[in-house]
Amino acid sequence: MTNPVSRREFMNLLGATFGTGALIRVGSALGMLPAVAALTRPVLAAPAPGAGTAVILGAGISGLTAAWELAKAGYDVTVLESSNRAGGRVMTLRSGDVVDEIGNRQVCEWDNEPHMYFNAGAARIPSTHRNLLSYCKELGVDLEVFINESKTALIQDDAMLDGKPIRNAEVSTNVRGFLGELFAKSFTTAQLDQPFTESEAETIMGLIRQFGSLDREMNYKGSNRAGYVSGGFIDHGVQKEIIEFKHLMKSRLISQTLSANEGETGPLLMQPVGGMDRIIAGFTRALGDRVKYKTPVMSVMVKEAGVEVAYLQDGVPQTITADYCFNCIPAHFMAGIEHNLPGDYMQAMKYIRRGEAIKGAFQARERFWEKEEIYGGISWTSAPIRQLWYPSHGIHKEKGVILAAYDFGNGGEFTRLSQAERVEWLLKGGEKLHSNYRQMVEKPITIAWHRMNHMLGCSARWGRSGGGMTMEEEGLYHTLQAPALGRHYMIGDQISFHGAWQESAILSAHWALADMDQRVRSAA
Amino acid sequence: MIKKGVAVSGLVLGSLLSTHALAQTEGAEYYNDRYCMTCHGADGMGSEGIRGPRLAGMEPWYIKRQLENFRAGVRGTHEMDVPGTEMRPMAVPLTDASITDLLEWIGGWEYKPTEITLTNGDAAAGQPLYGTCAACHGAEAQGNEALGAPALAGQNDWYLFAQLKNFKAGYRGTHAEDTYGAQMVPMAATLADDTAILNVVSYINTLGR
Repeated sequence: MTNPVSRREFMNLLGATFGTGALIRVGSALGMLPAVAALTRPVLAAPAPGAGTAVILGAGISGLTAAWELAKAGYDVTVLESSNRAGGRVMTLRSGDVVDEIGNRQVCEWDNEPHMYFNAGAARIPSTHRNLLSYCKELGVDLEVFINESKTALIQDDAMLDGKPIRNAEVSTNVRGFLGELFAKSFTTAQLDQPFTESEAETIMGLIRQFGSLDREMNYKGSNRAGYVSGGFIDHGVQKEIIEFKHLMKSRLISQTLSANEGETGPLLMQPVGGMDRIIAGFTRALGDRVKYKTPVMSVMVKEAGVEVAYLQDGVPQTITADYCFNCIPAHFMAGIEHNLPGDYMQAMKYIRRGEAIKGAFQARERFWEKEEIYGGISWTSAPIRQLWYPSHGIHKEKGVILAAYDFGNGGEFTRLSQAERVEWLLKGGEKLHSNYRQMVEKPITIAWHRMNHMLGCSARWGRSGGGMTMEEEGLYHTLQAPALGRHYMIGDQISFHGAWQESAILSAHWALADMDQRVRSAA
Repeated sequence: MIKKGVAVSGLVLGSLLSTHALAQTEGAEYYNDRYCMTCHGADGMGSEGIRGPRLAGMEPWYIKRQLENFRAGVRGTHEMDVPGTEMRPMAVPLTDASITDLLEWIGGWEYKPTEITLTNGDAAAGQPLYGTCAACHGAEAQGNEALGAPALAGQNDWYLFAQLKNFKAGYRGTHAEDTYGAQMVPMAATLADDTAILNVVSYINTLGR
């Protein structure tokens, strides 16, 4: 290298190779990495005399959070849920469960065993989601580790190595080897932007060598980190051949592989033992008969004296009036519910687009991935299924439920297919990663959140520019976050900068509760 | 429509009781085909957020024809008609009996005046354009069952706008078996552009209901 490479240039090179955005962005749903949220559990004042009723619209996790905190503070709380189940997009499927997709009702026919479940919506709890974790603790929800990355899981791209799947470890080892060697060469020859002392330079060189698994001459000659072809325990190991970077860089999945396990989806993630809906069950257990099911809301009228909500129970019209209303009904439904919410509120609601995330799952006749040394984590493919998730739980049991597809942003095409076409699409994708996939899986379930009854969308989409929210969008967001007449609050992950996470839904409820509490206290 | 509202009040009670009885069935979770309100809004008032048009006050014979069209693939199969393609899978599993049940249910919904959302059109410019429409849909856009033409007055304006565009572009009304839709295609073609469509819908908005 005759031209020294400065660190800034090096970072630019990295950015050019992977795309800066790609390095930090897993997808719109996972796009931003907020700071660890402070514990915002509100300590609510007791209700003012004659103002102690609250109605919660929707038993999603934000509604349940609001209901539980209000109940603890002494409010008389009613939760109206249009579905026969609580949880919204926190949904776990097991034997006998119905997937209530409009026009494509499915019944889950998996074996009836505790480990044979599938988290069709929320599926991961990051260590930093302190508020959600604190409710798990309070409500007695047992947690276990969720494996997001397995070094033995696969990466497959039709554009790379003739479509042959390779191990995650082969990707990370060879990419690091290439980058380490590149960095070492530039470092030894370069006049760096900022000089280091000799001992600092030595430390850095050591670090680079470790990072890239380089030899003494700072060259990358392959590494046993990528795994052995054979041997290595009681005889000589045969190292895998280097996969040259020029091949790896043909796949966009390489940067995905490196970034998917950093930040919010980095270790350590957790899941409730037995399914994500154990959290919902914790809330509904605590709330008891305050939660009313199959009670669709027909109208919401915010008045000086209180919020009047009309709903159906067993098809019979009912009315409830409450001092406060916390509403986690998806914003796109509110145009179809009679209401007197302010015009700017409606303008903001109509702006939000419905998310299109999709998932698929199969029962595996046997845990075929374990025969390929995979015990959890995610395989990536360029096929439209994008991901396979191997269950972290039930290791060495006879069967398991495998996530067969997860597209967190652009599931529209999948949604429009018939069930039979969707299943074929899942099988074709899975076969790219496991040649025996079609023989190994059965009893498909597809989840198109865009078409699910009572939901008709995944996480709300605020930004249309591809990046974050524009100033105008942020204005709409704040309009919708603010209470109407000091009595009606929109909540849910839809009222956050960071959709699709339970923590966001909980924080939106906390924000609304704190705002209400401030009004109660200042009026006292 | 006011007359109809009175006439169906007995039916409302009947349908509520039958739903109630079904819902009490022991055993497995009860599901039926009464999904309409998820997309078409509370009491079928229409839901702009989902692009589901108003069903309250829509003629039962028209709803029946459209459900049968969706079911048969006569409507809702053109890929550019995205809300139509979303409706179709809903209709595919319907039996004749469940269509009858739905008509009874929908018939019980009270019609409430529709919110006007298109405010930048020129109703006066739309009035002469409406002359073509009036031949079938009536001077007051009240509809004409004998001609198979539904009422337009009181329907969601954004829906009328979208459907006129669909007919004009051939996204609707081009299926060989869509007899009534086929009549709409040349009619929509007389509207020169989006502005003309907006104006004629703005005129329909003035007819009220």
